[in-house]
Amino acid sequence: MIQIQHLSKSFGAKQVLSDISISFDKGKVYGIVGENGAGKTTLFRCIAGLEEYEGTISADRVPLKNHLGLLLTEPFFFSKITGAEYIRLLCNARGTKLTDIESRNVFDLPLNQYASTYSTGMQKKLAITAILLQGNDYFILDEPFNGVDIQSNIIIEEIIHKLRELNKAVIISSHIFSTLSDTCDEIHLLSHGTFTRSVLKEDFQALESEMKSATLGGKIDRLGLV
Amino acid sequence: MAAAQPVKEYFQLQYRMMNRQFQDLGIQPVLAYLFLFVGFVAVSTYLFYKTELAQYIYLLSAVSLISGLSETRRNDFLKLCFGDGKLKRLRLAENFIVAFPFLLVLLLKVQLLSALTLTVIAALFAVVNFRTSINLVIPTPFYRKPFEFTTGFRNTFYLIFIAYALTIIAVAVGNFNLGMFALLLVFAVTLTYYTQPEHQYYVWMHNLSPKMFLFRKIKTAVLHSAYLVLPIAITLGIYSPESIDVLLLFLLMGWAFLVCRVIIKYAAYPDTLTIPQGILLALCFGFPPLLLAVIPYLFSKSENRLSNLLK
Repeated sequence: MIQIQHLSKSFGAKQVLSDISISFDKGKVYGIVGENGAGKTTLFRCIAGLEEYEGTISADRVPLKNHLGLLLTEPFFFSKITGAEYIRLLCNARGTKLTDIESRNVFDLPLNQYASTYSTGMQKKLAITAILLQGNDYFILDEPFNGVDIQSNIIIEEIIHKLRELNKAVIISSHIFSTLSDTCDEIHLLSHGTFTRSVLKEDFQALESEMKSATLGGKIDRLGLV
Repeated sequence: MAAAQPVKEYFQLQYRMMNRQFQDLGIQPVLAYLFLFVGFVAVSTYLFYKTELAQYIYLLSAVSLISGLSETRRNDFLKLCFGDGKLKRLRLAENFIVAFPFLLVLLLKVQLLSALTLTVIAALFAVVNFRTSINLVIPTPFYRKPFEFTTGFRNTFYLIFIAYALTIIAVAVGNFNLGMFALLLVFAVTLTYYTQPEHQYYVWMHNLSPKMFLFRKIKTAVLHSAYLVLPIAITLGIYSPESIDVLLLFLLMGWAFLVCRVIIKYAAYPDTLTIPQGILLALCFGFPPLLLAVIPYLFSKSENRLSNLLK
């Protein structure tokens, strides 16, 4: 379990997260939604320990970061490192012994080519593969479906279901609501640095409708399209 | 005239960017240029006075700077901005601006062959895109711990091969000093593998304490550099057994500088080397025994810098 209490974070005068308290249990999948700049990535970076913050973040496995698989929105790759080497690098960092990478290459990636030459979607799939093979207990997946083809989306969704079965805690952010409603147990709406709504599976559709009407609110009509 | 305008603006922009970099470091650009000029003249005078290998050092330094400008993604971006024709002119101008001080010194020292070689290389690097035409995965002996040496070797393998070629020449002509130069060249190349601080994620992901992280980095650097320098060292040791003491001394110094370079990278992390740290490193090059004090000092500084990311 990851327990967050009174988490606040600001960059200079700009308050990005404000007094957030939430817990993420094992065996559950959590969706975090919110508009651009709502604070999702900052929240994830705080949980991972990549940012300093006020408040407390605790977990049943310490230090949390050593058991956390973090998928960044835009994973960073070195220019001359192959897919297989990238996976080995991440597993080495966690002291995970790795055997037979090729048979675990569920996305059929060209692992012997430079990762920097991969498309955006392929890079994301490579990063997901690597954090899965690290053997983590918690997962933060920041936009895992972005730029990924439909077939791989199906695989990622199945992987998330499998992680839940394996009693892992998974936190996902996505701008594609349908992927969250298919995979999550709870969805939390982050707005201006604080959680404004938290809903369980049965209320996902209502939340989506609410978000739609709040977001649109006649904006399209203002374009005056004819 | 109008066609030359974007290229002119490109160089004006480069000039402004360089000035901003100096200002960010807290140095007046005029003073920085003056310092660079005086420094270059002083180093040139010293090198050509001190060693006969100065012309090769100059040639390699210039080639290494020029090859940095040939980076594929950078050139792809420039091609998008300027198109094929202008890009070639721009790259030629860029390469010769960088090569100019080195060419000037080589001509003044009447090292005509080196000057001619540099001119040809500068022109060649501007018009031929080596990296796209050789788009294959270069095998390395570092697959078990892929990172700095894997990427570094793939970017600089030609310099390593030049060093090996120089070693063969050194043995063939019985020139031990040339062999030592080849050895130092490999060490110098490996030092460049640690110039850029990596993305925070690549430090954060380790489940090691800062101390263990640094030890692992040092161990990998020493072990992997050994793969590259030992063929040269063993060859020189076999052909010049009378100079084995000098060889061992230079090997030890090479590894000491490599360890220092690894640690100094993290002493400034996540920023690049600061000016005082650069000066410290330069002082160590001038007086290597300083490393005995500098390495432990920087180690503790690095531990502090990494303590936020590694617990």
